[in-house]
Amino acid sequence: MIRFEAVTKRYPGGYEALSKASFEITSGEMVFLSGPSGAGKSTLLKLIAAIERPTSGTVTVNSQNVGKMRRAAVPYLRRNIGLIFQDHKLLFDRSVIHNVLLPLLIAGFPRQEAAGRARAALDKVGLLKREKVNPITLSGGEQQRLCIARAIVSRPSLVLADEPTGNLDAEYARDIMDMFKAFNQVGVTLVIASHDENAIRSYGSRVIHLEQGAILP
Amino acid sequence: MMTWLSHHRQAFMATLMRMGKTPYATLFAIIAIGVALSLPAGLFVLLQNVTRLAAGLPAQPEISVFMQQNASQSDISALRQRLQARTDLSKVRFVPRADALAALSKQAGISDLTAGLSDNPLPDSWIIIPAQSDAQNLTRIATDIRGWPQVAEVQDDSQWAQRLTALLGMGRNLVWVLASLLGAALVAVSGNTIRLQILTRREEIEVSRLIGATDRYIRRPFLYFGVIQGLFGGFTAWLIVLVSVRLLDQQASKLAALYNSPSHLTGLGWAEAGILLAIAAALGWLGAFLAVNRSLRLIESR
Repeated sequence: MIRFEAVTKRYPGGYEALSKASFEITSGEMVFLSGPSGAGKSTLLKLIAAIERPTSGTVTVNSQNVGKMRRAAVPYLRRNIGLIFQDHKLLFDRSVIHNVLLPLLIAGFPRQEAAGRARAALDKVGLLKREKVNPITLSGGEQQRLCIARAIVSRPSLVLADEPTGNLDAEYARDIMDMFKAFNQVGVTLVIASHDENAIRSYGSRVIHLEQGAILP
Repeated sequence: MMTWLSHHRQAFMATLMRMGKTPYATLFAIIAIGVALSLPAGLFVLLQNVTRLAAGLPAQPEISVFMQQNASQSDISALRQRLQARTDLSKVRFVPRADALAALSKQAGISDLTAGLSDNPLPDSWIIIPAQSDAQNLTRIATDIRGWPQVAEVQDDSQWAQRLTALLGMGRNLVWVLASLLGAALVAVSGNTIRLQILTRREEIEVSRLIGATDRYIRRPFLYFGVIQGLFGGFTAWLIVLVSVRLLDQQASKLAALYNSPSHLTGLGWAEAGILLAIAAALGWLGAFLAVNRSLRLIESR
């Protein structure tokens, strides 16, 4: 599903976030990206979703060369990817349910169907009772779960999560990880960046370890 | 197709709601656009009216030919023959100097003056009407006759016709210049309101991008906003012109009545109003398009 071949990403100014990274993730896998902050985990996720373009090497997602993808094709790639951000990137000018509706409306679902799906997604993350409130009133863990609901509402085959449990306490973090496991069991491919080595190890999934932009064996 | 339609409906409703949320800003922008558009539209209406009035003036300009003071009877008949031989004149009328003086004496306040004259100071004259009354023809005939013997002076009416034509032409150019300048202003006003909107919705745009919104999807509500704002502005301009014409018409008809030509000012016709709205909408769209594309590029490069 995802293949990196000697991918290097150098930012303007010369900082090399990723150096000649090569790996492959097959469909249905759940993979952790580990390493200290600044190791290149976020950059790697951004390259998969075409938020950044590689300086050299090829990034292939669903047999499409993402690095050389036309600008106009990128939105359609992203509709098949659920993105979960550490800072949630929620919109506070609208209710919880409208945050979840956004990807469906962008993809052009009819209102009725979209509303049904959005409720189902909120139910899955346990926020259905809060659908009408403004997300600013939610706790950190709830905001993260809302972000997850928004990422999975259009049923993507690939979910990318950047430090999803970054600033949550252990209990919330466990909840979220369990949720990811459940998605994985229904066939969703997950790539989760985390610096929490202990949590990662306890899941027994495959781990890609990054250190200063390079993949450690 | 259904998706496309529902997207448009959503964008349209969202635009109206957004306008409702900032009523003052919206109102001021619409007034600015309306005033900017009403100037060229008003001038256009004014020109239309002047052109119409000019067409209603005596359609046949005359040429007056004054003879030398010492012209004899034989000079007069020679000139009559030459004038009548011309095929480009539709009417030739001789005004003897005595008649001219008599006519002058009849006018109030001048009779005393003419009574004191020992000699008739007026020359014999002719009033001729050319077959074709265009300015070029008038000038040609006047120049022609001016060179004849015993002709002291030729006054042709073509000058005022030429001047009016030139003035109207200048007016039309002015409409174009004004329309272009204020059209540019409209694009700027529209672009600016859209730019401010984009700033306040920057997060929404960034997030939408990340979850698969196309440029088109992001652009759409802003383009709608530009078009709708332009339409409201165009409508305002139409209202301004309508009210101005109504107000001016009261005075204009009084004035026209004094000149014994009962006439009314006409406003913008339906077709012209339609064109005004279409132009307003198009320019509003253009301003929004430019602003949104620029902002999208800026957000992209962040």
